[in-house]
Amino acid sequence: MSRITRIGTEATAAARSFLRRRTAVFFTFFFPVILVVIFGALVRTQPTGGGLFAEPAGYYIPGYLAVVVLFTPLSRVGSEIARHRDGGRFEKLATTPLSRSEWLLAHTLVNVGIIGAASLLILALVLAVTDATLAVSPALVALPAFVAVAVALFCGLGAILGALSDSQDGVIAASNTVALPLLFLSETFVPPALLPGWFLPAVAASPLTYFARGTRAITFGGGAWAGDLAVLAALAVGFLAVGAYAVPRTD
Amino acid sequence: MNETAAATEAATGTGTDSADGEPASASADPVVVAEGVRKSYGDVVALDGVDLRVEAGEVFGLIGPNGAGKTTLVRALTGTTAAEGSLETFGGPPREVDPQRIGLLPQSFDPPERLTASELVDYYGGLYDAARESAAVLRDVGMADDADAWYETLSGGQKRRTCVATAIVNDPDLLFLDEPTTGIDPAGRRSIHRLIERLAGDGTTVFLTSHAMDEVERLADRVALLRDGEVVAVGPPDELIAAHGGDPRLDVTIDGDPGDAVADSVAAALDQSAAAAVPEDSAVEPTTDGLRIVGIRPEAIGDAVDALDAAGVAFESLAWSEPSLEDVYLRLTGEEYSPRAEAVTLDESESVPDGNESADGEGGR
Repeated sequence: MSRITRIGTEATAAARSFLRRRTAVFFTFFFPVILVVIFGALVRTQPTGGGLFAEPAGYYIPGYLAVVVLFTPLSRVGSEIARHRDGGRFEKLATTPLSRSEWLLAHTLVNVGIIGAASLLILALVLAVTDATLAVSPALVALPAFVAVAVALFCGLGAILGALSDSQDGVIAASNTVALPLLFLSETFVPPALLPGWFLPAVAASPLTYFARGTRAITFGGGAWAGDLAVLAALAVGFLAVGAYAVPRTD
Repeated sequence: MNETAAATEAATGTGTDSADGEPASASADPVVVAEGVRKSYGDVVALDGVDLRVEAGEVFGLIGPNGAGKTTLVRALTGTTAAEGSLETFGGPPREVDPQRIGLLPQSFDPPERLTASELVDYYGGLYDAARESAAVLRDVGMADDADAWYETLSGGQKRRTCVATAIVNDPDLLFLDEPTTGIDPAGRRSIHRLIERLAGDGTTVFLTSHAMDEVERLADRVALLRDGEVVAVGPPDELIAAHGGDPRLDVTIDGDPGDAVADSVAAALDQSAAAAVPEDSAVEPTTDGLRIVGIRPEAIGDAVDALDAAGVAFESLAWSEPSLEDVYLRLTGEEYSPRAEAVTLDESESVPDGNESADGEGGR
């Protein structure tokens, strides 16, 4: 049996398992939607041009996408690892041909599908309820690649958090602790001009920054994005490799 | 020879016919060989020099109290935990064994809940190069009628049977079943027993861990008893019972207080009868609801009834039983049932062996 078949088997089981948990499905999509409604439609820029959202609406498209690209894989993969560990599933899987990297790839595929759908929903909602406009260009075809690669990257990070945490509660807490600073300090919602100069190296070190820069270049400002995608892809490979190694066997 | 010495001999391979616990047909290529296996979790020693040898095609039972190290040993043998010492499965390190040849039912196993039983078996089967049809596997474990029910809606016993199905879906050569019948009703247990017997008949080597002594006694060709991380006895169930099971006993349920005086008078009456079928070292022990006459053979039950009549004891029921694997377990683990008072011996010069003392000399725990 080929590696692809095993990955497909694992991914099918994971997708079925997720799609049958209605609450999980609902909130996976509801969370980013509510965020768009609050920040995109309710919070208004001051007439003087100041306030929370001083940039044009299109500037924040990468931020809204980043919410789902960042939070969902972190919490989903981390929780899945905790659930597998608590239920003895890794012990069982360790005696099957499925390797740890195949397991993580399968769950990454499922997350790419789920988050891809959620991203489409967000994009449509942002365009519908805010003043944002989408820069239509051939570069738009690279947008799904950015989403997929970023999801893979954060699936790897989620696997690491899941392996380090000793419970599902711990995974959620760790995910939020990691995700919140990343979200707001990665050129998503807060422009770098609003941050102190000494902090900018930290912004450059955030993987999410490259997602935000690249997707902003595609959807809003124009400019080069291939370099950002390359950095993001390289980081994704690294995080997936470390994440796969971190996926527990038993002990 | 005391029980500890006998048990140690049985485990280490000295002394008796079944001393090394190996079957008469021990092959040159055992499926599992463990020598001096040790595993610690911090200061807690889970396995302390375990030696085992499992032959191809046999059902090998592993019994022991909670915390004795059974699950850790299964994990070491399946390569899902690292342990010190020498471990070989199919002649190589457990982690390098072709997974197609191994089946595992972990003790604590909770598969994805919102898959049907059929989908779960297909899922685990789909991870192997070759797998059996889920319908056939579910039929084997008595789950054919519930194949389309979500796992989370199944009863505890049905869930366990579905988990057993996931362990045999790849038709393994070596099957580890860690407490397969926990929570399963008697009919379900029987179907699992028949399944294990059939698999063994077809040549599958089964490594069975269980707290159900009757199950192990019925199914296992050989049994190892693990206590505090050490194998204290290993051998065929009947040989272990003969060596460590103690004597047959007659349990007498009486109407009234089964005190020492009653036991004394029955013992005296039984001694008076001097029937050939009543061994000299028979003993009468008070129990919570009557008396236990230890060491009595079936042909002496009539003499026992006469002795009860002679002692003026009105009894409600009699139950004679042979020693079983459970007695071996209780005796060697130091958890033997203790009568509520000191045993009264027929021959006052002899004492009745105390299981607690016999097993480890430390008394009951």
